[in-house]
Amino acid sequence: MTQHILPAPRVATSRIDRRFPVRAIRFVLNRFLLLPIGAAIALVWANTEAEGYFRFAQALAFPVNEIGMAFFLALMTQEVFEAVMPGGALHSWRYWSLPIAGALGGLAGAAATFFLIVNLRHETVLSQAWPVAAAIDVAAGYFVLRLIYPHRNRAMPFLLVLAMVTDALVVALVVVASPDFSPHAGGAAFLLAALAIAAALRHGKVQSFWPYLIGAGTLSWLGLYWMGIHPALALVPLVPMLPHDPRPREVFDDRLDDQPVHYGEHEWNGIAQVALFLFGLVNAGVILKAYDTGTWTVIVAALVGRPLGIMAFIGLAVVAGLHLPRRMRWGELIVIALASSSGFTFALFMAAAVLPIGAVAGQITLGALSTVAGAAVTIVAAWLLGAGRFAMPKGAR
Amino acid sequence: MRRFAALAIALAMSVSVAGARQAPLPADAPVRFAVIGDNGTGQPPQYDVARQMLSAHAAFPFEFVVMLGDNMYGSQRPRDFFNKFEGPYGALLRMNILFYAALGNHDEPSNRNYPGFNMGGQRYYSFARGDVRFFVFDTNLMDPKQVDWIDGALKQSLDQWKIAVFHHPIYSDGDRHGPDIALRVLLEPILVRYGVDVVFSGHEHVYERIKPQKGITYFVAGSSGQLRKGGLTPSGITAAGFDQDQAFVVVAIDGDQMSFQAMSRTGTIVDAGVIARRGES
Repeated sequence: MTQHILPAPRVATSRIDRRFPVRAIRFVLNRFLLLPIGAAIALVWANTEAEGYFRFAQALAFPVNEIGMAFFLALMTQEVFEAVMPGGALHSWRYWSLPIAGALGGLAGAAATFFLIVNLRHETVLSQAWPVAAAIDVAAGYFVLRLIYPHRNRAMPFLLVLAMVTDALVVALVVVASPDFSPHAGGAAFLLAALAIAAALRHGKVQSFWPYLIGAGTLSWLGLYWMGIHPALALVPLVPMLPHDPRPREVFDDRLDDQPVHYGEHEWNGIAQVALFLFGLVNAGVILKAYDTGTWTVIVAALVGRPLGIMAFIGLAVVAGLHLPRRMRWGELIVIALASSSGFTFALFMAAAVLPIGAVAGQITLGALSTVAGAAVTIVAAWLLGAGRFAMPKGAR
Repeated sequence: MRRFAALAIALAMSVSVAGARQAPLPADAPVRFAVIGDNGTGQPPQYDVARQMLSAHAAFPFEFVVMLGDNMYGSQRPRDFFNKFEGPYGALLRMNILFYAALGNHDEPSNRNYPGFNMGGQRYYSFARGDVRFFVFDTNLMDPKQVDWIDGALKQSLDQWKIAVFHHPIYSDGDRHGPDIALRVLLEPILVRYGVDVVFSGHEHVYERIKPQKGITYFVAGSSGQLRKGGLTPSGITAAGFDQDQAFVVVAIDGDQMSFQAMSRTGTIVDAGVIARRGES
């Protein structure tokens, strides 16, 4: 018998070894998992060496939350913009009417539940945290639905539109209601100058993202900051001017295609991913003893209030004459409504945006993190309702 | 083992307290006040504490009362202001003793406009008595504007004594909440930089005095209505603690010395001592 010491299997092993890290990194990046990883590190750090953690977090809060997150929000807006432009996956308005009704219902349901509990508990100091309960993590919802519906399904665009419209409404309401909001001329002039520069770059067919970012982005950031609007939104108004091509596949489908602008976007993606990791690290560290009324109020509003609101408004819209998408059952709508219950990333962003350091921020942040439980609830509901991959084969019925 | 350590610390405390009982508070001190926290339940223990405060006032006529937040629990309609404030403290109010409140997590933010709390409609404010200035913060939401105000107000103050008052403790051995360390990282450097001598907080429903941290003595007095019996696990930073009954604190400041006594609902002195002024850092 020939003795193989190592050489023969080494080829195969090294191939596996070489591929595994690349695959793992791609898996983490494509699913925006750097944020939960940063959040997990932050949670452990805050509960083991709290003073060191909070010193680190408070020192980095401004550059991460106000500057770094601008890249992530721009990336998300770019994804959405390319999906809704002609030729994009969500271009057709027939995708929009019912999800918009759902978005309005979900927002109303989450906010109403939040205010109801806060008032019943006589802890109205928590009131300004309502946007945390109302926010939806678009990516988390998408990936949960992908687990349930491995193949293309109408549930996906339905959820994406619902989540994006909800978050846009939440941001708009927060900006308008912010006590810091002051739309004075100086800030507006900076913003207009930023838009003009971006338009000029687009007119000149500049394909690189960097001139848009450095020139127009900086001015826009300063303009928003001056007007008391969260400057992490600085790149959002510039997105329509950026070079882009329609995204005919799914919104978060990150397979490289032959569009040069998408290569540029992938470059940007790297910065956004680092920003996401730091965002989780800086904002998610909360001492578990901070658990209080605000924590479970956010959870109940997101996991119960929002799905109920979505279902109620969609029900009303159907009664008023709108139609469910073809072959979509009410059970699937329940799964979609539950998939929207995770606020995680966007809820954390909202908590950092509307709540200063203090006792309220701790308990609410813990609630925002806990809404990830919505993912498990959604999968259980899908199993119970026989949705997607849990559907019984025809012969078994 | 932990329980034995706690018992040993408690015994050590009771010895020091027994010694302190011999010295009554100076009734002629220029600044005399009482401190209550987490009091507004409207339940019999709050009324008992209020009666005990009245008895204490006969021996030691304090001139005002500092409230550490959660001044009202539950509903906060006009009749609640009677049941949970004007009723229990009626006798003291009739003696024109003023109450100065900080906001806790259970207080309606609009309660800052209630005249009986003397907050001047502000979430955070300061007031002075003699050589002592009190800085009252709202630690529910420590927005940058408030932090700037704290920094400026403390910097400008030329008063001999600086006392900070806020609801959420940044040092505490309470079992339910513990210290708010995010707040500590934010506030402690400012308090130390501008020579704050003493900090009073509530939130944790026990009484505790913390050994000076970076020169500042911290009191947690969150059991003047609420009580978390057995809710304190003393640690190396605990100077004294009491978690068996409701309690309040009376304080006299004369020159460079601050004398204090913590009293239980039944009038037992559970902690007492003298703190020297820290002075400018």
